[in-house]
Amino acid sequence: MSALVIENLSKHFGGVAAVSGVSMEAPPGRVTGLIGPNGAGKTTLINLITGVLTVSDGRIHFGGQDITQVSAHLVARSGVARTFQNIRLLAEASVIDNVMIGFYRNEKTSTLASLLGLPSARRETAALRSRANALLERFGMSQYANHEAGGLAYGHQRRVEMMRALASEPRLILLDEPVAGMNDVEAGELGEIFRGLARSGMSVLLIEHNIRFVTNICEYIYVLDSGRMIASGTPEQIVNDPAVITAYLGS
Amino acid sequence: MLAQQLLNGLVVGGVYALFALGFTLVFGIHHLMNLAHGAVFMTGAFVALYSVLAGLPLWVSFVLAVVGCGLLSILIEITAFSRLRKSGEAEFGAIISTLGADLFIMSFAQKISGSDILRFPFETFPVQIFQFMGLRVTLLQLFMAGSAVVLMLVLTCYLFRTTLGTRIRSVSANERAAVLSGVNPHVVYYQTFFLSGALAGASGVLIGLAFNSIQFTMGEPFLLRGFVVIVLGGMGSIPGAMVGGLLLGMLQTLTAAYLPSGLTDAIIFSLLFVILLVRPYGLFGKETAGAMRAQR
Amino acid sequence: MSDFFVTYHHLFNVFLIGSGYGLSQWIVMRAGVFSVATAGLASLGAYTAAILTTKLGWPYPLSLLAGTLMGTLGGFLLAVPLARLRGVFQAIATLAFVQVVVAIGLYADSLTGGAVGLNAIPTLVGTKETLLALVVVVYLMSAVNATRLGRAFEAIRQDEAVASSLGVSVTFHQALAFALSGAIAGLFGGLEAFQTYTLFPNTFGFPLIIAALSYVVLGGRRSVTGPIIGTAILLILPEISRPLADYRNALYGLILMLVIAYMPRGIYDTAVLYLRRRRLAASSSQEARQ
Repeated sequence: MSALVIENLSKHFGGVAAVSGVSMEAPPGRVTGLIGPNGAGKTTLINLITGVLTVSDGRIHFGGQDITQVSAHLVARSGVARTFQNIRLLAEASVIDNVMIGFYRNEKTSTLASLLGLPSARRETAALRSRANALLERFGMSQYANHEAGGLAYGHQRRVEMMRALASEPRLILLDEPVAGMNDVEAGELGEIFRGLARSGMSVLLIEHNIRFVTNICEYIYVLDSGRMIASGTPEQIVNDPAVITAYLGS
Repeated sequence: MLAQQLLNGLVVGGVYALFALGFTLVFGIHHLMNLAHGAVFMTGAFVALYSVLAGLPLWVSFVLAVVGCGLLSILIEITAFSRLRKSGEAEFGAIISTLGADLFIMSFAQKISGSDILRFPFETFPVQIFQFMGLRVTLLQLFMAGSAVVLMLVLTCYLFRTTLGTRIRSVSANERAAVLSGVNPHVVYYQTFFLSGALAGASGVLIGLAFNSIQFTMGEPFLLRGFVVIVLGGMGSIPGAMVGGLLLGMLQTLTAAYLPSGLTDAIIFSLLFVILLVRPYGLFGKETAGAMRAQR
Repeated sequence: MSDFFVTYHHLFNVFLIGSGYGLSQWIVMRAGVFSVATAGLASLGAYTAAILTTKLGWPYPLSLLAGTLMGTLGGFLLAVPLARLRGVFQAIATLAFVQVVVAIGLYADSLTGGAVGLNAIPTLVGTKETLLALVVVVYLMSAVNATRLGRAFEAIRQDEAVASSLGVSVTFHQALAFALSGAIAGLFGGLEAFQTYTLFPNTFGFPLIIAALSYVVLGGRRSVTGPIIGTAILLILPEISRPLADYRNALYGLILMLVIAYMPRGIYDTAVLYLRRRRLAASSSQEARQ
């Protein structure tokens, strides 16, 4: 069981509550959606889950473990990967190096072996390189392997970030507005990939601004507004919920 | 005895404050450090000295040094800062490039002076001693304290009472917003650098007169103490630099007077290290000053 | 030829030591730490090694080892409190550390000789030993760069948030980089001690901070070759002609300003990047033709 379970989570910045009393779940095998207008607290919620921000109140469980107070890199180690709303690549590194750092979580080489440059360390690096190449192939990015990531077109950068997250073989992937700036066809293709990940047993949490995309892709949707969860349910329930309509269209 | 030491410390501290004000002003605006500030300080002493040697009256030399250092500082902004501002690594780049400017200016001064210690001619500043309530004050000390107070008041009025000052502070608070509301950032940069350099120049002249030992390396210890002052006061904080300067001046005279000689530097820099660990935003800085990483 | 060697023998030794300091500076920056502690750590290593041999009669390899360990320990102890600080604040804190080391070196004259210097250190180390040390360090640093640690360092250097989102511990790797930097600085400090007869606290002050930084900035911050090339250029330039030597500091200053403005990645890394871009351009235009 590697479900993400959030109970009554709150975050205050000074006196301002960015997230208050939020509870939700993202079970494996499902694409779960989290929507809300700008400033609703979606990215704050991701930063709380991934350990970038400290939790003010409430609990976060992942795979049966309490990760409420766990630091960011250990949350990642336990199998949580993410993409960023404003793509964050290692701009100066090549595309393949960007993907290779994704494997870090499962690398076996010890610090000493790496420092001494032991054959085992070099073998693992070579193996990761070929796995990264395979991943590039799957995403149709092979010809860019040695290009600097920072110089790629926007859509390609999104793909590199996605590959990096997948390289860590996560049990939960948090996607922060992954189709922002894409047209419907591109978004649709990516949506299929997300469903495929869920079918393979991963928990997928999709954070979006765009209601239409989320209702197409997700099986279950949570709606956040001003830091509070105002609705949750199937896509049909959500689009017909008066509170959601008010939040999106304004009262 | 203690009162006398404190008084001497206050006078030196006032000059530290002047020096550090210029240093912290640039940091407040750019969030970048100008490590050539010590070289500008040294230039102030040099300009004043050579002007006096050329027969100019001291007050003219003083003005020349202040204005000249202001201009030199603008030159530093043009050569060492302006190109970096666009790059992503401005913080690191500025340190390297102003170190470069520092070396360049110092080496120029070394060419002029040789490596000799230069001195103002005797009685450049009239030697006069006043006694009151058992304390001994020289005319020069009064002049130093007076200049420090006047210059700080002028700076404060400029920053807080004039429109130009308001613009400087608005760029410091939020550059993008300031630019959007029609402030030309270059004008602001030149002004801050001029002010910063002028303050360094003034403190250079005062220290040159006080210790009468002028050398091309004299900026380095001041730069290092400048770090202590601006960290103690809070990086970028103007009142912080003033208070920090006075505190450092007193601390330095007291440790020199009552502890084994040679320990002063060890104490001052240990203090700097400890402040950074315990309270990196200093006395007057805000906790959000970005000194520490976000962490959980 | 042998005249040439005699003339430039000393310069070559200076170059080897300088490269060591450059690599010590390089490895912390590789992990995204803006430390200038190398000078102070080198001082710890140099004085530890020299004191153990001159006062306690330790054989020099043992003293070098002790100096290296001292540097490592110093680096590690710095890393723990500095992990909370960022950027400029780390730089200032390590600068304070260097100043404290210099001040204590001057003050504790019964142990260090103070400003007069620690004298009569036997010259036990020559070019061969120093070269061997540099080769070992270069090998280790290349190994780091080519394997897991190098990838972690690179990720941290470019974006700490990304690094930790992938499971890379920023604290651990930066502490490791600090310790490695201390080890290298301590080792080469010790080697310098056994080459120079006298040690002065000020040798390991502000000028060494500038020198070590310059080597890395000029040569390049990414590959191991960078700092070595930077050291070579900065040490050899003033030897080529008299005028350059007279204006050594002005030259250093000018180089720093020009490099950071126009070639911020340094000479070697920029060259590597240029060649790679040309190769990529050539291969993609070839594909276009087919």
